[in-house]
Amino acid sequence: MNSLTKASTLSSENISVWFGQRQVLSDVNLVFPANKVTALIGPSGCGKSTFIRTLNRMHELIPGAGLAGSVYLDGEDIYGEEFDAVSVRIKIGMVFQKPNPFPTMTIRDNILSGLRLSGRKIESADEVVETSLRRASIWNEVKDRLNDQAISLSGGQQQRLCIARSLAMNPQVLLMDEPCSALDPGSTRRIEETIKELSSSMTIVIVTHNMQQAQRVSDQTAFFLADDNTPGGVVEFGATEQIFNGPVDQRTNDYVNGHFG
Amino acid sequence: MSFAPRPSVQPWARVNKSRKSQIFLASVLPLTLSALIVFFTGLDQNLALVGVFLPLQLVAASLVGFLAFGRRGVGDSFLIVLVVFLSTFVLVLLVSVIVSLVSQGAKAFSWTFLSQNNIYVANTTSLDFGGVGHAVIGTLMIVGLTTIVTVPLGLAMAVYLTQSQSKTKGLVRTLTQAISGLPSVVAGLFIMSLALTLGWERSGLLGSMALLPLMLPTVARVAEEALRLVPVDLRYAALALGAPNYRAFFQVILPAAKSGLVTAILLGVARIIGETAPLLLTVPINNGTSWNIFSGNMMTLPAYIYGYLASVFEPSQNRAWGAALVLMILVALLFGATRLLSRSKSLKSKPTKQKASK
Repeated sequence: MNSLTKASTLSSENISVWFGQRQVLSDVNLVFPANKVTALIGPSGCGKSTFIRTLNRMHELIPGAGLAGSVYLDGEDIYGEEFDAVSVRIKIGMVFQKPNPFPTMTIRDNILSGLRLSGRKIESADEVVETSLRRASIWNEVKDRLNDQAISLSGGQQQRLCIARSLAMNPQVLLMDEPCSALDPGSTRRIEETIKELSSSMTIVIVTHNMQQAQRVSDQTAFFLADDNTPGGVVEFGATEQIFNGPVDQRTNDYVNGHFG
Repeated sequence: MSFAPRPSVQPWARVNKSRKSQIFLASVLPLTLSALIVFFTGLDQNLALVGVFLPLQLVAASLVGFLAFGRRGVGDSFLIVLVVFLSTFVLVLLVSVIVSLVSQGAKAFSWTFLSQNNIYVANTTSLDFGGVGHAVIGTLMIVGLTTIVTVPLGLAMAVYLTQSQSKTKGLVRTLTQAISGLPSVVAGLFIMSLALTLGWERSGLLGSMALLPLMLPTVARVAEEALRLVPVDLRYAALALGAPNYRAFFQVILPAAKSGLVTAILLGVARIIGETAPLLLTVPINNGTSWNIFSGNMMTLPAYIYGYLASVFEPSQNRAWGAALVLMILVALLFGATRLLSRSKSLKSKPTKQKASK
């Protein structure tokens, strides 16, 4: 990897989402400034994961999905005519809830898979592999077994491999959908350290159910909520410090203090 | 922590002495009892097996089960006896087919039999002359041509059924299932009447055409299942990395489904390689070797077996058995080779120097 691309500012404007005739998200307006980590918190089923998928156009893959509103990457609408889904996803990487390394590939091939899948030329493969694995802080654990199958790794290692796989694409924004929900505390800690390091070179949006994690890693936090039979939306959005220590909305206060959810 | 030697007995497998003798009695008594009944009453052995031995064994096992674990033990031992009995039954069936095929077929089996064709061979000609070489060639060519045409079609159908969101999927799937119930003789008759109407000459090609509708549904449906088993997570992972749909399919989904797709092809070949009726109707038989699938006569193994099986002459009967054995060996070789091929590729990516840590 030669020069790291600059982080970008991502923002959503009036994002509303439907599945079939049912509206699940209503008017989400959020700004994710460059090099900042934003945590999306809220109870299950409030649309956090759905929302994060609209940010790199993974949402449209679900049959019956509908969308209104815009998402801007450095001022350009990613749903606009100049953009197509593939080029959006190259710029905005994603890490999923469950580790999903490609089971037919080795660790090394998993890292290079993004470049191959998007049809890019790979100039210095070894360098890409090492840099990506180092950035995901898993290099020391796997450097001697790069040609092992990826599924021979433990769950926590697999998830960091998936992060490294996204990093090999050198994205401007990294979306993480509950990346630590299936992992033990040790792996979680390492991923959190990774997130902090990465924020110097990219913008990060992370969905999490773990309040402490949100407080540890994020600069700003958005609290999502869906009341009974209404579409989900953002209740409160602000600096993490403020959301957890002096929330304006009573519901936010109840949630972050564990009174419901 | 230090390593300890592996204990020889697993604690959950320990059985106390009285239970051991109970189990011993329960496994020996029913058999002896039924043997005695057969011996003294002259009851038909097969009848005794199902009518005397099985109930006795079930009762005995249930009793031991009850003594050991109470009521839940009865159900468990009942099920175990049934499973063992029925699987032995199926195994005996299967093995006896193979054993009779090998023992009868071995009489005719020789290099001559494999390599020569059937020219100048009469019903009573000694087994030292003539063979199934021409039929092997015919079968391989006709089945091969069908496979070459069907596999891409079937895989394409499977891809359509799993990857697209089209509205006609249900119709296509229903039709495929309907075709899979098509009697093979009907497929043969259809192609034969088509050939008669259009004035085509009967040939190996027509045989391939008649086999196609028999193979296609098998390949398409098994391949569909194989592709469906690939987790959707993998597809999303590929697409989230900026892969266009076709690259996600070819580089991620296809390799993940590979062994299932190989199975689909094998099952398809297995479905048609022994088909007799369609070939009898569409392919004129031949005693000489023919390499031309597009015109003229051609022999196939099923047609060869069919031709000799009903013969009253012993050498001819032996030829039929021999041909059946050859067909079975052919299928076994085909399956073995394909499995080996599809496995060695996935092994290649594994490290050669280091041990894969599992």
